[in-house]
Amino acid sequence: MTWRRRLRHRFFIVPLALALLVGAWNLYIGLHDGGIIEGEVRDRAGAPVPGATVIFFERNFVYYQEKQRTTTDGTGTYRFTGMQVHVGQLEARTDDGRHSERRQLRLWFRAQDTEVAPLVVAGPRG
Amino acid sequence: MVRRAPSWPRHAIMVVVSFLMLVPFYWVLKTSLTGENIYAYPPHVVPVDPHLFHYVDVWYLIPFPRYLLNSVIVTTMAICGNLLFNTAAGYALTKQFPGRRWVVLLFLSCMLIPFQATIIPAYLITSALGVLNSYLGIALPLLSTIICIFIFKASFEAVPRSLIDAARVDGLSEWRIIVRIMLPLSKSAIATNVILTFIWSWNAFLWPLIVIRTPEMQTLPLGLARFLSVMEDTTGALFAFVVMVLVPGLTIFLMAQKEFIRGLATGATKG
Repeated sequence: MTWRRRLRHRFFIVPLALALLVGAWNLYIGLHDGGIIEGEVRDRAGAPVPGATVIFFERNFVYYQEKQRTTTDGTGTYRFTGMQVHVGQLEARTDDGRHSERRQLRLWFRAQDTEVAPLVVAGPRG
Repeated sequence: MVRRAPSWPRHAIMVVVSFLMLVPFYWVLKTSLTGENIYAYPPHVVPVDPHLFHYVDVWYLIPFPRYLLNSVIVTTMAICGNLLFNTAAGYALTKQFPGRRWVVLLFLSCMLIPFQATIIPAYLITSALGVLNSYLGIALPLLSTIICIFIFKASFEAVPRSLIDAARVDGLSEWRIIVRIMLPLSKSAIATNVILTFIWSWNAFLWPLIVIRTPEMQTLPLGLARFLSVMEDTTGALFAFVVMVLVPGLTIFLMAQKEFIRGLATGATKG
């Protein structure tokens, strides 16, 4: 068998394709694993909510606990850093008793940099 | 003129049988993508809201890479051992020597004894060798298998005698005859050996369960059992784990199925 036929053989092509796929995926992970989770908190009218507390709950088959919390800035934006998680929940709370629903967050790999859709806070009666 | 029977009834039966054989695989794959409870009624035949996050859960919530590495190491050792020892044994059985028939008879009779019956002596030998809880200890019973010895024997017997005599006249040693003449002409037997050993080693449960003592040495089937016992309400992740255990074996089988079937057919007709 010549080397050209060997290169075209499925015993070479399939493992090579799999190795390339795994390599490319790991390269992508290496470039996007800063552990940054960010987003906005808004009220029902769509206005940003400054000073809201955003809590990240780590939730999986084994445990369900608060992992980290942060506060929104003047533009209603929050940012978590160094989050070594791949699954959890986000909830925003304000000092006047409003809160958002807990948003399920599932990532493709641990510490994936993610921008979350806005969390909407509302009063106890909606 | 002889009228040929229509082929469609045969094909229809084959389609139905294939469908019945593939349904469980489809169901495992579908459940791994949806996490739907297997007792849900009515069941959804088409996946509803499929996603791949159960695979991500499995990857991170249990030491899957470690289990995978252990399985790969043990399987590689078993395949290498099989190719080495079975080739040598198969070649030896093509020779005429005193007691050859008794050796063949001994091999055949040993095939009748189930592994479970010899597991205690096997454990004691492994313990005496000091390789309990090691990769070599896990791979030890699969380093040579009698069926594969006979597959090599049948394949070697199909090689023309004149070719071996010519090689010997040219000054090749027995090992070089095996490596240079026999093995290149026995690719089907090699593929059959590799696939059978891969399947047996990859799916081995009882022997690893006995010789492994620490979680970091566990292989994929043991990890699956541990996952079942530790986690609850994890239908999607459990089925994702099953798919991840199955995929390497299926990939290797699909790649080498032509040689595998040819190797088994050679053993069936010339053994």
